[in-house]
Amino acid sequence: MLRYEMIVIGAGPAGLSAATEAARSGMQVVVFDENARPGGQLFKQIHKFFGSREHQARTRGFRIGENLLKEAEEAGVKVVLNAAALGIYKNKEIAVSFGGATRGYRADCIVIATGASENMMSFKGWTLPGVMGAGAAQTLMNIQGVRPGGRILMVGSGNVGLVVSFQLLQAGCQVEAIVDAAPRVGGYGVHASKLSRTGVPFYMSHTVVEAKGSDRVESAVIAAVDERFRPVAGTEREIGADTVCIAVGLSPMGQLADNAGCEMSYLPAKGGYVPTVSEFGETSIPGIYCAGDAAGIEEASSAMIQGKICAAAACNSFGYINDEEFRERAEAYGLSLSKLRAGMFAPQNKGRTDISHTAEGYPLSGSLLQRGYISQDEIEAFPAARPGSGKGLRPVIECTQNIPCDPCQDACAQGCISVGGDITGLPTVDGDRKCTGCCMCVAACSGQAIFLVDEDCGNGSGLIGLPYEFLPLPEPGALGLALDRSGNALCGAEVVEVRKSAAMDRTAVLMMKVPAGMACAARFFRPADGRQACRGR
Amino acid sequence: MQRTIRTRPTLPFSPEGDDGLIVCRCEEITKGEIRRAVYDGMRSMNEVKRYLRAGMGLCQGQTCQRLVQGILSRELGLPLGETGRIRGRVPARPVILEDFGMSDGDSEGV
Ligand SMILES: Cc1cc2nc3c(=O)[nH]c(=O)nc-3n(C[C@H](O)[C@H](O)[C@H](O)COP(=O)(O)OP(=O)(O)OC[C@H]3O[C@@H](n4cnc5c(N)ncnc54)[C@H](O)[C@@H]3O)c2cc1C
Ligand code: SF4
Ligand code: SF4
Repeated sequence: MLRYEMIVIGAGPAGLSAATEAARSGMQVVVFDENARPGGQLFKQIHKFFGSREHQARTRGFRIGENLLKEAEEAGVKVVLNAAALGIYKNKEIAVSFGGATRGYRADCIVIATGASENMMSFKGWTLPGVMGAGAAQTLMNIQGVRPGGRILMVGSGNVGLVVSFQLLQAGCQVEAIVDAAPRVGGYGVHASKLSRTGVPFYMSHTVVEAKGSDRVESAVIAAVDERFRPVAGTEREIGADTVCIAVGLSPMGQLADNAGCEMSYLPAKGGYVPTVSEFGETSIPGIYCAGDAAGIEEASSAMIQGKICAAAACNSFGYINDEEFRERAEAYGLSLSKLRAGMFAPQNKGRTDISHTAEGYPLSGSLLQRGYISQDEIEAFPAARPGSGKGLRPVIECTQNIPCDPCQDACAQGCISVGGDITGLPTVDGDRKCTGCCMCVAACSGQAIFLVDEDCGNGSGLIGLPYEFLPLPEPGALGLALDRSGNALCGAEVVEVRKSAAMDRTAVLMMKVPAGMACAARFFRPADGRQACRGR
Repeated sequence: MQRTIRTRPTLPFSPEGDDGLIVCRCEEITKGEIRRAVYDGMRSMNEVKRYLRAGMGLCQGQTCQRLVQGILSRELGLPLGETGRIRGRVPARPVILEDFGMSDGDSEGV
């Protein structure tokens, strides 16, 4: 039986980060993953990530995965794919099935980084073809290159539901509606806003009650729910859809920890049953660690840090790093983790509905939480979202919730934008600095929440620079409609310029001309020829 | 360690409109069958699993475990976390018996 100093199960962000950290300190490490591709969830994530530079913010998820894999290989980690871990036995023996056989390995320490599985919900017709997990839809489009359907009903308004909805639009699907039984949008407001302005309606306090169709989904029935989440008779509404995507949460996959005999507990804040772990991720069995979504549903950014923390602890207990080195690393990683675990969406605030103001004291947008977009009068409460009075283009930042994110601050070479040391702070605009209109902040913003606005560019027109990630890109001179934050048509618009560059990493900026007075409300462009992925109402 | 709380339903079994809904897709177990099982004395996820095979199919409960826990929680008036869970067992993934039998030997360099 082959022996490794460290065996990592799962090549997602948590597993790969743990493996690299341990191998760099001298441990001999192997990673097993049952998938054909390493990177775990990251390989499906085509959007730009949140966080700070140290968390690889503004990099698209799959690129972070590629970087992690490269780092692991450079550090001497062996990554074995198509290899499913079947069980963990006494004395840290692991059975792994690959290449037509099951093989036993012995480890000095084990890192369980198996991620999570999608929660399902049962309703009439849920077993019809066309009902699927949002993660499954994402795998279909982003890995297999298959469009999951034409007309989508998304159930769940957490970040997964919102991110996948946007990607469905990008793939050319119509998202007919997003429903959620909760009264407030669960994910980031910036994710909801970029869907709303294309015309996707949100139905909060609603659920899906039936998928109709003879041998596949042909429509879906939604209904309002009461405060105990029971459908209210008489509120049913039928929505034409061929696909119902379920995004109602994830459950940690702790089965291997359970099977190894680790103490497990049910923690709703972590998403379900998880192994009880120390602050360094060690389970009740010394030498068996658990990191990432398997230890509690969080984010890729925090999964990476958790992986490093438990690897550092393992290195310390096997003498690869001394106590002082370990203390230093643990402190640095702990600090990095605490930056992510802050703000109104932090794990400890999960399910809270009593947060009414930002940390800066601005009233949160109720419309954003209930309808998915900020109303005109609410947005005016945020100084960074006011275009200011000066001439020329100015950044207008419609980022109104305390989320852990700051790429906008790094993007502006002129120093116009600052978030401050606490990355959950709202970005502010320094009106005394000269904005050159370079568009870098618009392209860098992971939430697509920054616009450039010139309320009066002459000849009775206003100019707006807006982030645009749909194909085909409109040509300069393209005519169409300007849509407001809710996706309603506002006025005629002309695209006068399309900015793109390598540094903008595929987020184009459309310079859109509208009649003067409309620049403060127009936030999206719909081409007149309709040749565009998204739909309007 | 797993704690199984033995409580009983407070009301007698009464059929519901959606009892025919399939909950465990792999083993085709309906909501009504699971509700009945609770009244037959099954008080935890593992008991329902052994009694009905819900959660014993190809996906090993990855899809239905939460749903069954939800039904148990509602019928027994227990918080979700007190309905028990499917014990993690070997093999954690479906595996062809021939592959499972073949052990060690050529380790393909890993
Ligand atoms: C739609 C969506 C959008 C997201 N957006 C963001 C975002 O913007 N920013 C962010 O930080 N996070 C985001 N996340 C979350 C992030 O992707 C996850 O939190 C992160 O991937 C968890 O990392 P992990 O390493 O714990 O698990 P995973 O990435 O799930 O990796 C687990 C790996 O373990 C393998 N595995 C499981 N069981 C076994 C076994 N028995 N044997 C062998 N291998 C096994 C799996 O094949 C998988 O590759 C998003 C998630 C989704 C679904
Ligand atoms: S457009 Fe350029 S100069 Fe202006 S705020 Fe954005 S990054 Fe700074
Ligand atoms: S404005 Fe800044 S903090 Fe807000 S989402 Fe964009 S990049 Fe992040």
